[in-house]
Amino acid sequence: MHRIERDRARFREIVRGRLRSDLRKYLSTSELLGRRGEHSVTIPIPQIELPRFHFGDNSKTGVGQGQGEKGQPVEGDAKDGEGAGGAGEEAGQHVLEVDVELEDLARMLGEELELPNIEPRGDKALVSDGGRYSGVRDTGPKSLRHFRRTFRNALRRTIAEGVFDPTAPEVIPMPEDERFRWKKRAPKPDSSAVIFHVMDVSGSMGREQKDVVRIKAFWIDTWLRSQYQNLEVVYIVHDAVAKIVDQQSFFSLRESGGTKISSAYELLLQLVRDKYRPEDWNLYPFHYSDGDNWSARDTEKCISILRDELLPRVNQFCYGQVKSAYGSGQFKKDLDTGLEGEEKLVTASVNDREGIAEAIRLFLGKGR
Amino acid sequence: MAGKTELPPQLRHEATRIERIARAAGLDFGEVAFEMVDARDVNALAAYGGFPVRYPSWRFGMDFERLDKGRQYGLSRIYELVINTDPAYAWLVRTNSDMEQKLVMAHVLGHADFFKHNVWFQPTDRRMLDRMADHGTRIRRAIDLHGQDAVEAFMDSALVLDNLLDPFLPLREHMKVRAGATRAAGEAAGASFEAVRERALGSSSSRPPTFDILGFLAERAPVAEWQRELLRIVRAEAYYFLPQRMTKIMNEGWASFWHSRILTGGVLDASEVVEFADCHSGATASSPGNLNPYKLGIEMFRTAEERGLDLFRLRRVHNDASFVDEIVDEDFVARNALFLFGRNGRTGRTEVVDREARAVKERLLLDLSWGGLPQIELVDDDHAGRGELVLRHHHDGRDLQLSHAAETLKSLSRLWGASVHIETREEANVRWMSSDGAEIRTGERPYERAS
Repeated sequence: MHRIERDRARFREIVRGRLRSDLRKYLSTSELLGRRGEHSVTIPIPQIELPRFHFGDNSKTGVGQGQGEKGQPVEGDAKDGEGAGGAGEEAGQHVLEVDVELEDLARMLGEELELPNIEPRGDKALVSDGGRYSGVRDTGPKSLRHFRRTFRNALRRTIAEGVFDPTAPEVIPMPEDERFRWKKRAPKPDSSAVIFHVMDVSGSMGREQKDVVRIKAFWIDTWLRSQYQNLEVVYIVHDAVAKIVDQQSFFSLRESGGTKISSAYELLLQLVRDKYRPEDWNLYPFHYSDGDNWSARDTEKCISILRDELLPRVNQFCYGQVKSAYGSGQFKKDLDTGLEGEEKLVTASVNDREGIAEAIRLFLGKGR
Repeated sequence: MAGKTELPPQLRHEATRIERIARAAGLDFGEVAFEMVDARDVNALAAYGGFPVRYPSWRFGMDFERLDKGRQYGLSRIYELVINTDPAYAWLVRTNSDMEQKLVMAHVLGHADFFKHNVWFQPTDRRMLDRMADHGTRIRRAIDLHGQDAVEAFMDSALVLDNLLDPFLPLREHMKVRAGATRAAGEAAGASFEAVRERALGSSSSRPPTFDILGFLAERAPVAEWQRELLRIVRAEAYYFLPQRMTKIMNEGWASFWHSRILTGGVLDASEVVEFADCHSGATASSPGNLNPYKLGIEMFRTAEERGLDLFRLRRVHNDASFVDEIVDEDFVARNALFLFGRNGRTGRTEVVDREARAVKERLLLDLSWGGLPQIELVDDDHAGRGELVLRHHHDGRDLQLSHAAETLKSLSRLWGASVHIETREEANVRWMSSDGAEIRTGERPYERAS
């Protein structure tokens, strides 16, 4: 029924408009986190229903049916304002949830923050080996023999030779009748990327700091997902030592203790050397910390790992410094002075939730 | 709609058989056109209020999205839809089992009989299918002339007001017309019955005090002619759907009473009895916090039958409120385990407050009276000599939802082009709310601009 599809498309357009105008709000709250599925995000849209004069809260009494003495709680939720099926029609209370494609959301983010699309890295554009078995040719392995084509050729030949007998059909394929499937090559531009989310979980990173990281990670994921078909995400946490964790722990862990940032960079380097080689992957490490490192010596070590090993290999290295009550914020200054002029390094400081949008813009604004 | 919609032969045969049995039992209905649709299509029809052709609106898309998500997740399922037209169109869902098709056909005949005979449906236009299509054409033309955004914004502001109606107006006017002279005069002048009725509906409502605020606005609001046309359309459709609000329990009860009676009276195959029992009890199940109109309705008709009352007379003269008033008594409340629930302020829980029949009945009547809507009257259209509107909410213990009321008032004020005030109460305290279209002011008196 295409008529309803038009109305539905219009509804979605309105929802998108609403979402678009509220995007800044979503950029600083954790409302959307945990609502993400494989391809879409479920977003609660308040206030899309038209307002009307209807009954409010104090009429939350009504007539029900069932057993139970006075004072016994009523099971099953009594619908708002719905006494006997009459007043419930307004349904103005609940929040509507709509599914928005991740791609749509990423596009909105792109428009809002004026993000450029990511350009292929260098000139050796990575090519992945695409293609499907949609071709046919004369030679090939038996396992790929195209039975129908082969049989057709044999039948045609048998008839042409005049030996086909419809009452006792017998068709014997000869080698020249055989046809085989083969893979038509369709080289695809590279589509693999890996994000490393590296977070400092030392004692000074509190709940609020982690929330900021979480929201930022969500939007960065969303954006990069729209740019790459195949995206892997690796979560690394570190205090004085670094380790790989799953997503759940990444956001909930609270370690304490000192901070040795070089431990994380070493782990990163090891991963980039062994598993995610730059020939095969577009690499996006993001490091979040409050900027309080153990010693100046360790900071120097970090700078040299970055300059000599990591930066040449990655697409871009982002360092986001979240302001905390305890952190000195020294690390960002050290990076900025120690690695001045390095194009692939982007640093940003985030003072509070409001600063998230700007930091994302800095990180993703270069189109690398 | 995609695909064929006519019934397959064996169902057509069943339909004829069930219609014959229904008529023999005393039901009286006009032609019922059964059509088969897919589960998705029936959701689209439901979003359109049962009509395949409506004006374009995002709200239908929203309702469809909600319904169809319910279907995909297996949370809700629609078996049939029937609309009050002549012939009555009934949409059966293709995925129903044979037993379910028989059940819903019998159910639909109950509705068709109800539409034809219940007095509250007498004023409704049985050619609503054409009118809805006509409304669609008009609104699409308005969109062509004035742009989608302008039309959509105005429609939204009109729909905000679509429950500011007088539920008793159509029947009052209908009786007046039927009673006499107007009809004869109208016919003599060559005007159709509908045209006369339309005039009657329009003219009566243009002066305060009136509850037909939408009617007042449609005639008196200072808007462009095309906008006035939209207001009239919204009003006509709102009044068309109103009787269904006022008779939901009766209508569903009547249809369930008859599908049960007809199917267990020989239409069911022995192999279908268990499936029927399962389906029927599912439709009439009630959970403690949620009164099922099918259940309440069927029980009221069964009680009426036990008492030896004339069921056909009852279905003709009552609406939900008056039917409850007639049937529900101590015995009924006890037998059906009805109770009053409320929020316990101390624990925040919803719990059983009372099982006393008088309290239960009082509450039921409150919920069902005035079509379940707040009773709001326009009492003055020239307040303080400045052309401001004054509305009065006849408070019956149930407060308005104030933030929505404020938005509604704002929208109304923009439409009217001057300030609008409403008098309501918050618990026992008088509250006035005023809006000049941009702001809202609340207080114990109507807000007066400092002059």
